[in-house]
Amino acid sequence: MIPDEGFVAALAGVEGMNVHRLAALLRHHPPAEAWEVVCGRVPARGPIANVFAQGEVRAALIAAATKRDPHEVWDLCLHLGVRVIPWGHADYPALLVHDPLPPPVLFTQGDLALLAGRRVAMVGTRNATAAGRHTAKVLGHDLAAAGVHVVSGLARGVDGCAHRGVLSAEGEGRPIAVVASGHDVVYPREHRDLWEAVANCGLLLSEGPPGTAPLGFRFPLRNRIIAALAEVVVVVESRERGGSLLTADDALTRGVPVMAVPGPVGRRAGAGTNQLLRDGAAPVTEADDVLAQLAFQHERAPTPNLDLRVRPRRGDIAAYRLLRQEPRTLDGVALAVGGGLMEVAMSLARLEAGGWIAQADGWFECVGSPLP
Amino acid sequence: MLAAVRSATVFGVEGRVVTVEVHVSSGLPAFQIVGLPDEACRESRDRVRAAVLSSGLEWRSCRVTVNLAPSSQRKGGSGLDLAIAVGFLVASGQVPEEAIGEVGFVGELGLDGTVRAVTGVAPMLAAMCIDDGPELRPVVPAQSWREAQGVVGGRARVAGTLREVFAALVGEAPWPEPPDGELVDDEPPLPDLADVRGQRIARLALEVAAAGGHHLLLVGPPGSGKTMLAQRMPGLLPALDPATSLAATMVHSAAGVRLPVGGLVRRAPFRAPHHSSSMVSLVGGGSATLRPGEISLAHGGVLFLDELGEFAPVVLDGLRQPLEEGVIRLARAKVSASLPARFLLVAATNPCPCGGGAPGQCECDDGARLRYLRRLSGPLLDRFDLRVGVERPAVDDLLAEGGGEPTALVAARVATARQRMIDRIGVTNSEIPSARLDELAPLHPDARLLLRNELEGDRLTGRGYHRVRRVARTLADLAGAYDLVSAEQVALAMQMRVRLSVSSRVRAA
Repeated sequence: MIPDEGFVAALAGVEGMNVHRLAALLRHHPPAEAWEVVCGRVPARGPIANVFAQGEVRAALIAAATKRDPHEVWDLCLHLGVRVIPWGHADYPALLVHDPLPPPVLFTQGDLALLAGRRVAMVGTRNATAAGRHTAKVLGHDLAAAGVHVVSGLARGVDGCAHRGVLSAEGEGRPIAVVASGHDVVYPREHRDLWEAVANCGLLLSEGPPGTAPLGFRFPLRNRIIAALAEVVVVVESRERGGSLLTADDALTRGVPVMAVPGPVGRRAGAGTNQLLRDGAAPVTEADDVLAQLAFQHERAPTPNLDLRVRPRRGDIAAYRLLRQEPRTLDGVALAVGGGLMEVAMSLARLEAGGWIAQADGWFECVGSPLP
Repeated sequence: MLAAVRSATVFGVEGRVVTVEVHVSSGLPAFQIVGLPDEACRESRDRVRAAVLSSGLEWRSCRVTVNLAPSSQRKGGSGLDLAIAVGFLVASGQVPEEAIGEVGFVGELGLDGTVRAVTGVAPMLAAMCIDDGPELRPVVPAQSWREAQGVVGGRARVAGTLREVFAALVGEAPWPEPPDGELVDDEPPLPDLADVRGQRIARLALEVAAAGGHHLLLVGPPGSGKTMLAQRMPGLLPALDPATSLAATMVHSAAGVRLPVGGLVRRAPFRAPHHSSSMVSLVGGGSATLRPGEISLAHGGVLFLDELGEFAPVVLDGLRQPLEEGVIRLARAKVSASLPARFLLVAATNPCPCGGGAPGQCECDDGARLRYLRRLSGPLLDRFDLRVGVERPAVDDLLAEGGGEPTALVAARVATARQRMIDRIGVTNSEIPSARLDELAPLHPDARLLLRNELEGDRLTGRGYHRVRRVARTLADLAGAYDLVSAEQVALAMQMRVRLSVSSRVRAA
């Protein structure tokens, strides 16, 4: 025999099942019976009966359910060490119990107690600039160092960088990730290391059972959980449209404050965050801004954070100041500074070695806190 | 009666001497060709018969057997027509046998007796005259005069029709005069570097690539002038040396590409195959005669691959071996050939599917970029010593009066630097073995420190390290610095090796 959780896990993965149907089903049936309903062996009760009255839907659900074996699903969960926590379970996160659209079931790996700590969500575009990546990393690091847990989505770009920052800190703060696929379906694949690190030393949550594919429609649903779990949502970088703005909307409907990192004016990379700022989001330029929002008993550091980078030479500062304004190519810098290509290349090499700028695809960008 | 006439076919880029034996005897009227002819070759029966008749010569009803010796090799093409016709004329007693003693024949016949041009005249003549008979005087179609001239000079004779050949052989008339009056150089002038506005780093990259023989990848959005820059590459390369020139001529002739006046390819070739090109069109092969492909046609010059990422991956990987060895070895079930393919690879690609641009402007997500870059296989990407970002020129540059340096000026610097390299080790800098870098490209202490920092900072891989040093050596040679490579030169060499990246994971050196 398998416990009720096994049936819930199996139900959550049936094709054609969605958040609303699953919630309705479980409200009126105990899990084992709900499984029988979906298999067509027991009549449905409550509002879900209307759904089952539609012949096509019923047939599709039955066909999908007969392909699944609750035992197998349960064994897989046990094997992976994934906990199954249905709504109403004693361990179900209190934060989600009264959510407008609570997940009917959560699959978790890691420490659920982290949800009792201070939590900030960091989200942003997958297609981040070097500057955006750097900001995400630094904010993640500094927040974790201050003991704040960082909630994010393990996506490419900002999400991944934020959690890498958290993992690089030696503070109390831990990574909390809400993913759109099953625990055994690592997406994107290059985040396997990060995925495992989060499961091991943080908390990894999903609404889908192991084996769930990362389909497009799951990502906006995943975003609502990120918003619901956070005390503050920080949008690090976003274009005029994007998933991170949807997360911001989800946060607003839940009364979670939204903060945004200002982006350069007139550039697409910062259009979304600047729009948020215009709409009243609070600006974030360093972790202290977020900590203040959290009403941390936290004094702003009297001196700027200790920057270990060696100050650039006098001759290199012109090139650096130029790159502060906007990214440029070697040609662009040489043209504006007015030097020979070799001297400029040398300057840029020194700046890059010093950690002041970074290069990709031939473009140089400033990274890190600006030169005082 | 029996006659043996000397001719040749082409295989790969080499000519192969063929003896055309014609036997005419009484018997049932028939015309047979044996000795592994291909279809075009077999069809020469009908062309030869018609040509003989339309030239006012006699074709008695008789049994004609043609053997193409050596009979174990496959022969292709229509270049043996003329030899078969002459063989028939000798065997049927219309032309005395002595007349063809020191003559070879190459050419296709039209039904009216016209002698038409065929591909591969240069390698055929090389096989017939240079290797086999120093006294031989080949007869070639009038249109192939240039090719013949390049290989055997004035020794070749031309023929416009079969009747002319007959007349000359029986002594009725002298051999026709070679065509003249087209000694004007008809090669179009090369585009000049002075037309390029701005683009300082890309110009320098062209100069470095030309001087050091470094393969060059231009990365930039559409409209940034990648193609324009690449087209200016051949103008920077010095004229081909005699050996390369001859090899390139053979390839061009075998592939049927028109040769310049004088019959020799002297200027560095520039080949730009479209990205839909098949593997065979690029590396060669395809028929039993193993026709040379684009990479062989680019021998001694530039192979330009625009939209590198759009080429089929298997085609690109086919380039790796020739890039390494300078020859392409083609092997089929029964035949194999090695064709010259020492070229400078210049390629252009967009940084990502949308065309990219400044950071934050790109529309593609990391996944799309990753897939795009993955099409350029790492090993191929690694062959490029120079990877340079090209940006759309600034408005000021476009409107500026007068362009940059003209080709002639840059080409002179390139020639000097090249000479310096050849004097030093006999090859260009791109071919310096890693083990001899310390000896041939010693570093200034500052340069060593800089490279150390880059390696420790993970911004440079071991392989990239050697490539940067070779490019820095070329920069030093261009600057006239003989001994130590300075830190500035190393820094610039590093900046000319753009990291194509999505994240740190795909940083290729």
